[in-house]
Amino acid sequence: MILSAQGLCKSFRFGEQQIEVLRGVDLELAEASSLSIRGDSGCGKTTLLNLLARLETASEGKIQWKELSLDASTKASTQEIRLRANFLGVVYQAYYLIPELNVLENVLIGASLAGRNRIESKNRARYLLSKMGVEEKQTQIPQKLSGGERQRVAIARALINQPKVVLADEPTGNLDERTGGEVMDLLLESCQQEKSSLLLVTHNRTFAEATDRQAFLQDGSLNPL
Amino acid sequence: MRFPWPLYLAWKQLFPSQRKISFFSLLAVIGVALGVNVMIVVIAFMQGFQQKFRADIIDSQGHARVVPLNPNPSWSKVLDGLAERKEILGVSPYLQGQLLLQNRSYHAIPFSMGLDPEDGGQVIPLDDFLANGQLLLEGYDSQDVTPIPTMDDLEDEVVFITRQVANRLGVRPTTIIQMKDANATEQADAARGMVRVLRLDPFVPSGQWTVTFLDEESYQIAESASGFKKVGLFKEPPLDLGMGFPIFEVLPGPKAFVEGNEVRFQSFRSSILEVYSPSMIEKAKADELAPPHEVRVGGVFEVPWQGYHSEALIGTMRFMDEMRREEGGCDGFYLKFSNRLAKNEGLLSQYCKDLENELGSAWVVVPWFVENAWFFELLKFEEYLMILIMIPIGLVAAFAIAIALMTSVMRKVREIGLLVAMGGKQTSVGAIFCLQGFIIGSLGAVFGCGLALLFIRYRDALMSLIVSNIAGESGQDDVAQFYDFYSLQVAYPWDSPESLSTFVSFAFFAMAVSTVAGLLPAWRAARMNPAEALRSE
Repeated sequence: MILSAQGLCKSFRFGEQQIEVLRGVDLELAEASSLSIRGDSGCGKTTLLNLLARLETASEGKIQWKELSLDASTKASTQEIRLRANFLGVVYQAYYLIPELNVLENVLIGASLAGRNRIESKNRARYLLSKMGVEEKQTQIPQKLSGGERQRVAIARALINQPKVVLADEPTGNLDERTGGEVMDLLLESCQQEKSSLLLVTHNRTFAEATDRQAFLQDGSLNPL
Repeated sequence: MRFPWPLYLAWKQLFPSQRKISFFSLLAVIGVALGVNVMIVVIAFMQGFQQKFRADIIDSQGHARVVPLNPNPSWSKVLDGLAERKEILGVSPYLQGQLLLQNRSYHAIPFSMGLDPEDGGQVIPLDDFLANGQLLLEGYDSQDVTPIPTMDDLEDEVVFITRQVANRLGVRPTTIIQMKDANATEQADAARGMVRVLRLDPFVPSGQWTVTFLDEESYQIAESASGFKKVGLFKEPPLDLGMGFPIFEVLPGPKAFVEGNEVRFQSFRSSILEVYSPSMIEKAKADELAPPHEVRVGGVFEVPWQGYHSEALIGTMRFMDEMRREEGGCDGFYLKFSNRLAKNEGLLSQYCKDLENELGSAWVVVPWFVENAWFFELLKFEEYLMILIMIPIGLVAAFAIAIALMTSVMRKVREIGLLVAMGGKQTSVGAIFCLQGFIIGSLGAVFGCGLALLFIRYRDALMSLIVSNIAGESGQDDVAQFYDFYSLQVAYPWDSPESLSTFVSFAFFAMAVSTVAGLLPAWRAARMNPAEALRSE
């Protein structure tokens, strides 16, 4: 398994009230495979992705990044943070492109965070942008791109370090159906070509069905479909 | 990306791609640059004033004074010994005291000093002071052509007085004006040459002088009241007829002088002052006959050092001796040292101590900076006070930068979360904002230093512009005279270590303050929970 989790629990406290979002989630993602997770709004899908990315701590549970076994209830160590840049790629619904950087620079910032070679990364960034069909936009700033183009750039940025796993949190949520479909096709195809596993969180059944496996998050538990 | 990514992102956030500069960056850099500029310019000008005061003080009293603790009759031996020393370039003995001057019903009691006309100029540039103080007569049909008096004019019956004494008593030295010929244009006169007054001693009487061109070789000098006439030749040196006669120099032009043409001058004799010494006043009190000593005003001088006596008189040592009724006295010596000692206050101080030890306990050697220590302490205090006043300017800029960067952190919450999600360390993400402060501070420091250099380079033009707008064209001279901006030597950083230190200190201060201003936003960004940051709206 490239990514797995056992007994992940997460609860939030709102004043006196303790809300349990995840109640012992188990998850396994094989190398170069894809898994989609669906669920109602607020059921904890994004929280699950954040836990897997070690951006927040779980109440309890274990996570495995390839051979590295992690205690999900502790804060991410420096080693994990260093590894994260190469191990994980992230794609979000709102793209989160840095407005002060142009398209090429936005992709390259991912490589810089991982400490990659500048010239090699530049070539790879251009390759990925051409694959995403936005090569001619590489000197443009994000504000001048359409939503679909922005998400393509975000996918290129997620793939720049050839990550083992791509975590995609509703990547088509801000796009119309046709554009969303195109973006999803690109994401699936790219992950397949790069041999990156994909963990996709989506509301869209069609997109979910395009992955190798599907699961549904309900009442804090992840149920395979 | 050639730089570490936090520095690269910090730079890009200040200077985004496809935009030349952000409004915030522009304002922040300008703010810091103006602050640095003001701080440097103020301190550079303060140092300029200090340098000017140093030069003026040294001009007015030499590098050191040797003072006998008691009247010392063998002072001339000491003088000879001092004059033989390699490091001493000039020794000038002096006598000093107070005298009462009277002209008609006007009185003045100036600080009076007797100098040796031969040695005095070695230490004190009295000729320069006389040039500063020259009073010119103004007239629409005449031009004051009085040559500037020099130390050579100082005689036992002649004194130099400061402009303030001259004004108080209503006196002036010998003056000569050239009458303008209404029928000849200046151009024609210039082409035919000119007549210049080379010397005008204090004993020249009032009179009308005419220089007439007799033929191609000779000219005649005549004075109408006395009937004096004398013929001179162009090819010979100017006629020197001794004291009481002006020396006229005839300078031929490209065209020959026209026979019969004449150049007319009017001379006015120097004022005569009645001088009383304290002992004469005592005698007068005891009803003894004590007629005043009469002296001529040989010149009017101005000492640029404002700490010098504004009402002063300089005469010869013999004159002061006579007034004090003492024979061969000396109150001390002014010394001028070689450049090696003059440049280094430490060496100068040590030399003075050694000299004092050699001269024995009857003499004290006081360097100029010890004698005027109070003044420089005052200036230093002013400088520190200015720095103290200006530091808040830098702090205000720092607060403005901190607030702007804090706002930037709030605006970029999701980007902060994203960078952490992509593998950025939280401290590195925080460093982006600290580095923005550093970049603003560095650019502000560079531009501030540049601006200060421009200000120093064009200070006279800028001051003229400001002063002419405030005081008007006519007020410029008064301001220049009072504040002395136009002769102020403000050092560039490559000219003096002191100036370099000012530039570097304020540049580093701006960089440090701006970087510190970025610390709080950086700390806030570094503490941000990435998951919450990504969820934020």
